Amino acid sequence: MMKATAGGPFAPLREQLADAAGAFADAPGGLSGILAGMVDDVDRALREKLEIFPVCHHSPASALAMARRLREKQPKVIYLEMCEDLTPLLAELRNCRLPVALQAFATDLDGFPSGWGPLSVIAPITESSAEYQAIAYALDTPGVELIAVDRSADHVFQWLPRPEERDAPAEAPADAPEEAGLHGDAVGVEIGDLRPRFAELEEHLLRHGKVRHWSEWWDQYVEQPLSGADYDTYRQVMVLIGSLFRRLAPGDGERRASDEDRERYMWTRMREHLAATGADPADCLYVCGAFHAASHVEQFGLEAAGPGFDITPRTATRWLYGMIPSSHSAIEAQFGLAGGSVSIAAATWEKALRRGGVKPYKLAKPTGEANPGRAARPLPAAVAPRPVTDRLSGFLSSAPALDALDESELLGWCVDIVRLARRNGYQASTADAIAVFETSVLLAGLRGRARPTPYDFQDAAVTCIEKDVVPGRRDVRRLCEILLGGDRIGQVGYAAMPPLARDVFDRLEPLGLDLSKRTIQRALLDFTADPHLLPCSHLLWMLRYLLRDDTVRPIMGERRLGERPIQESWDLALGRQQRSIIELGYEGVTVEQVVEQRLRRTVHDPSATAAVALAAVEDSILYLGARRFTDELGERAVHLLAAERTVDDAPEVLRRIRRLLAHYRATGAELPAWCEAFVTAGYAHYCTLLPTAFVDEETGVRQVAAMLGFLFSMESLALALGCDRNQLELAVRQSHPEAPAKVALAWAAQAQLGLLSRAELRARCAELLDNPLVIPGFPQYMSGFVQALDPAPGLTPFVVELLSDAFAKLPDRVLLPWLPLLIATLRRQAPEMLPVLVREADRTFPGNVAALDTWTPPWSRTAPAAPLVAAAGPVGDLLVRHPAACDAVAALLGCEGGWVTGDRPGQELAARSPATAEAVAALLAG
Amino acid sequence: MTDDMLCAPAEVKYADELDWLESVDDGPKPFSWRLSPKMVRLFVLGSERADGLDREVPQKWFGDRSFVERSIVTLASDRGLLLIGDPGTGKSWLAELLAAAICRNSTLVVQGTAGTTEDHIKYSWNVSMVIAKGQSRESMIPSPIMTAMERGVIGRFEELTRSTSDVQDALISILSEKYVSIPELDDDNIVFAQPGFSIIATANSRDRGVNDLSSALKRRFNFVRVPVVTSKKSEAEIVRFRTTELLRRHRIDLELPPTLLDILLQSFAGLRAAAAAATGDDERLESALSTAEQIGVLEDAILHSHFFGDRTLRAETLGGSLVGSLARRTPEDLAILNKYWHGVVEPRSKKDGGDWPGFLEGGRQAITTLS
Repeated sequence: MMKATAGGPFAPLREQLADAAGAFADAPGGLSGILAGMVDDVDRALREKLEIFPVCHHSPASALAMARRLREKQPKVIYLEMCEDLTPLLAELRNCRLPVALQAFATDLDGFPSGWGPLSVIAPITESSAEYQAIAYALDTPGVELIAVDRSADHVFQWLPRPEERDAPAEAPADAPEEAGLHGDAVGVEIGDLRPRFAELEEHLLRHGKVRHWSEWWDQYVEQPLSGADYDTYRQVMVLIGSLFRRLAPGDGERRASDEDRERYMWTRMREHLAATGADPADCLYVCGAFHAASHVEQFGLEAAGPGFDITPRTATRWLYGMIPSSHSAIEAQFGLAGGSVSIAAATWEKALRRGGVKPYKLAKPTGEANPGRAARPLPAAVAPRPVTDRLSGFLSSAPALDALDESELLGWCVDIVRLARRNGYQASTADAIAVFETSVLLAGLRGRARPTPYDFQDAAVTCIEKDVVPGRRDVRRLCEILLGGDRIGQVGYAAMPPLARDVFDRLEPLGLDLSKRTIQRALLDFTADPHLLPCSHLLWMLRYLLRDDTVRPIMGERRLGERPIQESWDLALGRQQRSIIELGYEGVTVEQVVEQRLRRTVHDPSATAAVALAAVEDSILYLGARRFTDELGERAVHLLAAERTVDDAPEVLRRIRRLLAHYRATGAELPAWCEAFVTAGYAHYCTLLPTAFVDEETGVRQVAAMLGFLFSMESLALALGCDRNQLELAVRQSHPEAPAKVALAWAAQAQLGLLSRAELRARCAELLDNPLVIPGFPQYMSGFVQALDPAPGLTPFVVELLSDAFAKLPDRVLLPWLPLLIATLRRQAPEMLPVLVREADRTFPGNVAALDTWTPPWSRTAPAAPLVAAAGPVGDLLVRHPAACDAVAALLGCEGGWVTGDRPGQELAARSPATAEAVAALLAG
Repeated sequence: MTDDMLCAPAEVKYADELDWLESVDDGPKPFSWRLSPKMVRLFVLGSERADGLDREVPQKWFGDRSFVERSIVTLASDRGLLLIGDPGTGKSWLAELLAAAICRNSTLVVQGTAGTTEDHIKYSWNVSMVIAKGQSRESMIPSPIMTAMERGVIGRFEELTRSTSDVQDALISILSEKYVSIPELDDDNIVFAQPGFSIIATANSRDRGVNDLSSALKRRFNFVRVPVVTSKKSEAEIVRFRTTELLRRHRIDLELPPTLLDILLQSFAGLRAAAAAATGDDERLESALSTAEQIGVLEDAILHSHFFGDRTLRAETLGGSLVGSLARRTPEDLAILNKYWHGVVEPRSKKDGGDWPGFLEGGRQAITTLS
């Protein structure tokens, strides 16, 4: 650390502060050390050969001082505290509407834990910031070099604590506006982070300053007094504040170490640059946060004796760079600033420009050709440097000059807020405007200021207008923020977007909509009238597939296998969700390429299953239509299926392969080789696993049913492709399930294969129903039969019969608890089961109530009973010979019909139709 | 003087402090205020070293500074002040402190109930005097609000939304014209409000919808919403401050162990979280779980320990008092408390030890007794 000089321009101030410490502090040693140290820091920073420009983020005072200083000094080199790898992006700022954020993005991680990805660093830039002034000056002034000297985005993550050491990220409040989420979950870096480093100091400052939050404290105690101050005062005060926070910060944190490493990094980079280019330090300006201007690292200063800092190499992670739109509220949310503070800072900046006559630097819009006039314009002569004089004493000892009440400004606010409130459902009136005005002035007086600040006005408006309920979407506090500048949302210009994003905008041009607008736009596509819109629809479906947010949202129309679109309607929010499109641009050059990459990544993921691969095949057909690529995915599905050891996904596999086969058959194209391979592999695979699945407790009945479904419904195709049916029969014969549902399923399979007749099946079920010990478990058998509807549709009449029987015979205590399960099963598997079940029920049951009375279930209908024939034998013969007794008993019992005497029914038939018998006799005789 | 009263009003309780503040106050005072707005704020929120006063002024109301500031400026303006918030958030206490600081009289109070009539807000008649002397100013009984108007001081209206809408609307003319006419009298029949008159009303946000304020009345009030204190630090301060006061009032010399205060705060925070996550009223305690409820629980425990115990506050007593105070509905509240005791207090007593096992036992016994 450099030794501070005891003399110099700040000696009287140092003495004065030491006296004050002696007079007021209980232990003067510590306090005077801090106070003197602060003055030393200021002295050291100001004596540095390389001019240090201390800034604070989103501070209009910093921006104003920067604009003034740049005009005065005309530096040739500007060193900026910003990630060095973001430099190439700066030129693109001229194509954007601020605020935007520079972004470094990485998904292919190498050197970081894989769980960290994707990595994203953003550095938001607002127009009212000092860094924008420096950037605009450097880019628009020929011969000026701008060098970002802070560590790269890669180092940001290298220096981050590992996740287990990190605190959990703060969750965004539930009522945060949508714009606050514009940055996603990126790590934010910004120039000039200046805030107390521990909570107690901030709380102390807020309590003594009688303000609510940090932004208000800063505005009242630094921003306002410094906005009109000269450059020397500005610089000295900012370094003083930076030094204060530095000295009152916890000494041993990760953050402190990281800050110091950054300072070493920046000074090393600057020294390297100066040595390489031979630039004169007097022509250079180092723009950094005030915190870093009071640095104590041994590398501080061009003439420091400290060794150079060993900059660690970057990891092999591939970083991509671009710009994403930002907004005031996103910046506030990211950096923990009070709501509306960045908007208020922007409003203060604009007001200061109107009032103060400072001409800010602004990046010129690209004209397409070089501007020779600008290039030829000579630089105005720089003002010679002034010697350092003590401005701090005056600043610290005198109260800041208070602004007089700006009555017209306040009146304007009051009238506007009432108007805005009325528009948002409040019953506000002119009387409220008067009350807000009066309350603002009173509040400002109570808080010791003559001119109400925006914060006083906001409080007054809430007091006078807000009642017990908020009538609309926005409360008065939010309305005030809107009034005082509102949330400004940036936009990345077309030229600054990655190729993919530009391509998307180009390809959607036929829609005839201005997609840069932030509103949601409705696109109506009628393909009969405008067939040329089909490619747009295709692109929109791909975007929908890639971006699951609301960037593009179909209102009408869907994309499924076998469907041809006729009309579609879309809600497009490409302007609002620019970030999503831009981040998509980091993945590839065209949307198709990104879809392809994602699909390929999905199927090669270690956790991928056959069902996932089949879904990818379907997506590939839907979105890409490339046969070769689809086949590649299909082959992967075959491999995955063969390698699977569980059948958990069997229902999904069955559903998807059925759909794909139907698609290929319907489109007329021959079945791809992978499909055939999938069916044969699946047939063998499921046959092998069937006996195990039947007995395995982990495997559900639905999975087994799906396996059987695959085996039965693909059977003909599989046999045609060379599979052996014996394999299936053996598998079914080897299955000996114990769970009732699976037993029922096994019986159904046997019935389907012809191993069990319908009569046997019916008898088995009847036996179960007759056994009182089995009755409580009978519903489980029924569950199995319900599952059999899909694999064995031939059994549907039997299932309906069984269900009807069960409903009739089972007691309520058994039946009722099972009903919810049945309903839930039917709901879940509605597409497979309900059509067959409903069709069968329609066939079986009567269609109206009247028919119900005379209805007999088909399974109860029996053939008309043949008249009883008395059995032959001595008893029969006796009765036949004396029929009177029997007739009398029959009459008594009410039985009708008479005696059939003589022959057996067969003899009677033969007698009635003798031709057949005679022909047979002739045949036998012949 | 405070010894003669069970609960002395703020202007009596803090008479010395108010006298002293008045003597050092050199700030501009609106109307007939006894203290300047800055001093009122200082009285309510307490002094800092930076205020440069010779005497320390303790903080009396704990909450956001801006609420107090907004309330003070409202009283200095033309409108009445309506403090709205959940029960037990300190609205009435803030109103009392403000009235005491501004005009040294916080007792001109109308309590809003379903039985409040317009007479309670304006005036009524002493029937025997009317019979004897006829209707005159002498036989008239002014309401606290009318008295406040005549004296140019602050009148208070507690639980404004408990009174019916037509009664509430009697305030409209008082707040807007600032006078009350007495048509029964032939002369001297208007009472004009003196400068300095204003009204502080309080309303319970849980009563919303019972007797809603008319738009006309809403317009004449500035609303300041007092939120439930969620910061553990502030809540601890409030509970400690109010409990000390209660102990002084009951003349009980008993120490409040910080560990027990912590247990109480943690239990309330846990129960609040459970209430927030609940989906129906049956899963939520009937109590609002406000800071005032915590003070109530603590007071109950202290009194119990003092009169029936060994004059030491024990965790068992606190557990019993908490259950006893919060179990209002049987079986819903008891079920919730039982669940909390088993799910949260029991594991914590195993893990943390200390006073938790006692707290667990006390609460468990109370639940058993009440079930």
